Parts: sequence; structure tokens; C-alpha cells
Amino acid sequence: MISTGEIIALSVFSGVYALIMSEKIHRTVAAMVGASVIMVLNIVPWDKIPKYLDLGTILLLAGMMTVVNIARDSGLFEYIAIKTAKLSKGDPMKVLLLFSVITALVSAFLDNVTTVLLLTPMLIYITRQMDVNPVPFLLAEVFASNIGGTATLIGDPPNIMIGSAAGLSFNDFITNMAPIAFLDLFVTVGIIYLAYRSAMNAHSNRSEAITRSIMSLNEEDAIKDRVLFRKSVVMIAAIIVAFFFHDRLGLQPAVIALTGASILLLWSGASPEYALEKVEWATLFFFGGLFIIVGSLVETGAIDQLADWMLGYVHTEGQAVLLISWFSAFSSAIVDNIPFTATMIPLIKAMGNSMSTYPLWWALSLGACLGGNGTAIGASANVVVVGMAYREGIRITFGDFLKVGMVIMVATVGLGSALIWLRYVGL
Amino acid sequence: MVKFTDLITRKFQNIAGSRYEEILKAYEEFFLTEEEMVIPDIKSILIPLDRYTTTVPDEVYETISAYPNARLQLVYMIDENVCRLIRDTLGEEDAKKFREKEERRASEILSRMRDRIRELGIAWAEDTVFGDKSEYVESIAGEYDMLIISKHYGSETTRTHTVSPVVFRIVQYVGRPVVLY
Repeated sequence: MISTGEIIALSVFSGVYALIMSEKIHRTVAAMVGASVIMVLNIVPWDKIPKYLDLGTILLLAGMMTVVNIARDSGLFEYIAIKTAKLSKGDPMKVLLLFSVITALVSAFLDNVTTVLLLTPMLIYITRQMDVNPVPFLLAEVFASNIGGTATLIGDPPNIMIGSAAGLSFNDFITNMAPIAFLDLFVTVGIIYLAYRSAMNAHSNRSEAITRSIMSLNEEDAIKDRVLFRKSVVMIAAIIVAFFFHDRLGLQPAVIALTGASILLLWSGASPEYALEKVEWATLFFFGGLFIIVGSLVETGAIDQLADWMLGYVHTEGQAVLLISWFSAFSSAIVDNIPFTATMIPLIKAMGNSMSTYPLWWALSLGACLGGNGTAIGASANVVVVGMAYREGIRITFGDFLKVGMVIMVATVGLGSALIWLRYVGL
Repeated sequence: MVKFTDLITRKFQNIAGSRYEEILKAYEEFFLTEEEMVIPDIKSILIPLDRYTTTVPDEVYETISAYPNARLQLVYMIDENVCRLIRDTLGEEDAKKFREKEERRASEILSRMRDRIRELGIAWAEDTVFGDKSEYVESIAGEYDMLIISKHYGSETTRTHTVSPVVFRIVQYVGRPVVLY
């Protein structure tokens, strides 16, 4: 028997989901309105809000956003983009490989949207210089960003949410997800190359001029504030090192990020008003709203009922790994992976009564992060790159993206789920 | 049915906000514009010289060597206004001495340059002109595809003002690429 509370919670959840998918109104507004309805109708009592509001996720995101905002003003990311372009020397194959590797690496430690926002203008510029079709390069960048984000606890919001909810450490992600991401990255570059190899040829009669033009870029010119640049590099490196030891230090990842942000603010003398104003508050409120809406599903028992129903069909961890990874992948290709992960987390927790959830978290991370590669609207990085391409007069249609994206999604999730299955379930 | 481009545009605006414009602005400093990407076809080069152009560095000859089919015009300018000022204040004799001294200097500089340009195998012509340094260059610049000019041309420079005001004026007025050395 479904209670009135459950009906309201499910209606709010479905309505907000539909609004997020259609993007008729801003996703943050949709989540906030939904959360307000839940709170006004007392579906989740006020004193239980802190239980559902995952501060580990929200504060980790806020800390890393602050660090990135301060570092951005030094010209660090433009420096990386110019350096990568120069290392490629105008060779299309090297551009494809280097930009994919650098994008994956940066995305593993910083948020994917910032990474692609900062690297894409350079990629478009050099593909124009090389006079080649920019689409395969842009697609490779998107896929690399999503794959890189899969590798670490801080790489992609679903991983932050999973890590915080399941108490998984940075090193747990490095040992479980980084090897999968590493293999998936090279599989992806290989697929892109095979799909677009005819577009990888620069005009040989202009190769010298192209190289000269790209090599004339000076990465040193990108550095707006040399002192801030050095301090940003040192602090980002220190934060990453601290993440590797956070479990041994007994510190939450959010504490590491906030401490790093505080030290960088103090050391750099950057204006806190400016640095904090640039924090993506809309994103943080979006997370907050979602946590409350999903909390209403837990509070009313809807999640437990769904978990019981699922356990009627899924009896072993192996089945659960395959189901969660593939269901998450196809769902994340269609709906935003953040609300999807927020919904799946309590579901997996509820399944913990019948089986070990440890491999299931990796299956969720794999599906939620890599599923975003499936369609142009599957992940924020996809939307940003396709949107930037439109603004620059480069058309990447839904079909263009889907044709390559689905192949990449199936290949990478297939490889990843096979590795998780072999590791935790065995033959 | 939601139109894909509209959906992407809406989503892009919601996710990226104004950040994209800020980033593009930062990149503008490094990227060449569409106009700059087109390598100009240089067939003639004007090189104005004067008493402040004491040495012409090797980099200028390297730049010239990139245009083997271009025609060079070397012009040594003697300042008409300075000559008139000397005549009005010190007399005709001193004005004549000034002019002779300037012509000797012109001969020396042009001779040194002639040898280097000959080594490059580039066609050239030379002239010594009595006139206003900026007005003359501005009046003939349109006949040439590029100008190569010293930062000290026309007047002394200082530590705080490393480009002479005459050069500033020329760069502002001529609609041709200018190489400063």
C-alpha cells in the first residue's frame, strides 16, 4: 500500500526529474522548488534535513571550486592548454592523444566542466590552424574528460557523492577506478581514430606553416600573476597529495579541500569576496535540493520498497554489478547523472542487507560517470563542448554524438564492468 | 519535440553561464585573429632611416630575408624642420653644415646597409629625402606592403618611453603592417 507521503515524494521526484531533463527552467530552481515542497509538506521533518543533506559532497565541491577560482586568475589553465598545443607541434594524431591525456588528467583532479571550458578554445583554435575537421578532437576531449573524472574520488560529482555516502577513500577510487579509466582512455582514443582516421590528415604542404604558427604561441604570456601561479601549482599539488593520505590522517576529503582553499586564500592574499563569489552556488544549491528530494523517498520508504523489489530479481553480487553498471550507464546517458546517483545511493545502501555493497559502488561509479558519454546531453562536459562548438560555428548533431558516443559507452562500460566482475565476483 | 540546438543552448547557458565569455576574453590575447592568420603577400618594403637609427640589428636582415622577392626602399630622412630652425636661429651657414653632416651620415648608413642587402640578393633602391619625418613616411607608406622602422626613429627615446612619438604616430596612421626594431 502506497502512503500519501510516498505519492507526494514520488510526484515531486518525477516532476523535478522531468524539469531537469527538459531544462525548461534552471535545474537548480527545479531542485529548490521540489525541496521546498518536501519541506513545506513536512515529508522530511526539519530536524532530519541535516541527515540527508550530504555536507561531505557539498563542502568538497565548494572547497575545490574555490581553489580552481583562485588558480584560474593566475593563468594556470591557459598555460597548460598552450603547453599541450605546443607539445603536439601541429600533428593531428599528437593533438588527439595529448589533448585526450591532458584533459583526462586534469579532469581526474578538477571538475570536468572547468577543464573543458578552459581547454576547448585552444583545441578549436589549433584544429582551425591545422585546417582539419574539429569534431573528432572535440568528441575525444569530451570522452576523455568523463573518463578522467571516473578515475578519482574528486573527478566527477557522482564519485564525490558515492565516496561521501559509502565512506570510500581517495585511494579506494585510485585502486579500483583509475586502472579502468586508464584502459578506457586508450580504447576511446583508438575508437575515435578508427572512426575518423581520414580526418586526421593535416595539409602536408602547409605543415611547416601550421607548426610555426602553433609554436609561436608563448605559454609564458598566459601567466598573469607569476607569484600566484607558483602558489596555485604548489597548493593544488599539496591538496592532491593530501587526498592520497586523507584516510590515514583521519580527515574527510571535504576537510582537505576546504583546508587547501583556506591556505591558498591566506597565502595568495586573493580577495575572499571575489574567490567565493565565483563559487558555483547554483550547483551547490542544486545538490542540496536533490539530497532533500531523494531524502523524501528514503524517509517515506519508497527506496526500501524499490530495493526489495529489485532483490526479488537480483540474488548475487555478480548480477547486481552487471545490472547496476549497465542500468546506470544507459540511465546516465539520458538523464543527468547527479540526480540519478543521488537516487541510486540509498537504493544500494538498502541492498546492503542482502549482499556486500562494496563492488556495487564501483559499478555505480562506472555506469554513472561513463554513461554520460552515450549522448550529447549525458554529462555537463558534453553539453559545454557541444555548446561551445555551436558558438564557434561547428555543428555536432545529436546523431553525430550518439553514433560515436554509444560505441564508446558500450566499450568502456563493458571493459570496466568486466574488470569489476573479475575482481570481485570471479569466474 | 524539443529542438536539439535549443536544448543544448539552454543547458549550455545554465551550466557555463558567463564563464565561457570570460575564458574567451583571456584567450584573445594569445590567439591570432582571422585577419592576422592570413599571411600578407609582401612585394615591397619601406625602411625609413634617420640620425637616431644608429644601428640596424641582424634581426632586421633576417626579417628581410624572409621576402626574397620583395623590393626594398631605403629612405634616409633629413629633418626639414630642424634645418629651418637652425637657419632661423644660427644662420644659413650652420644650416648648411647641418645638412652636409646629415648627408654624410646618410651615406654611411646606406652604404653599410647596401652591403648586407646585397648579400641577401634582394633588389633595393635608396634615397635621401629632406622633409617632415612622419608626414613623408605617412604620405608614401600606402605604396608599400610593409614598413620596417626603428623604435628610435624621429626622436630620442627614454627609459620610460621606449618608442618615439614619431613612430607612435606613424604606426597609428599607416594602414600597413609595421615591424618595429
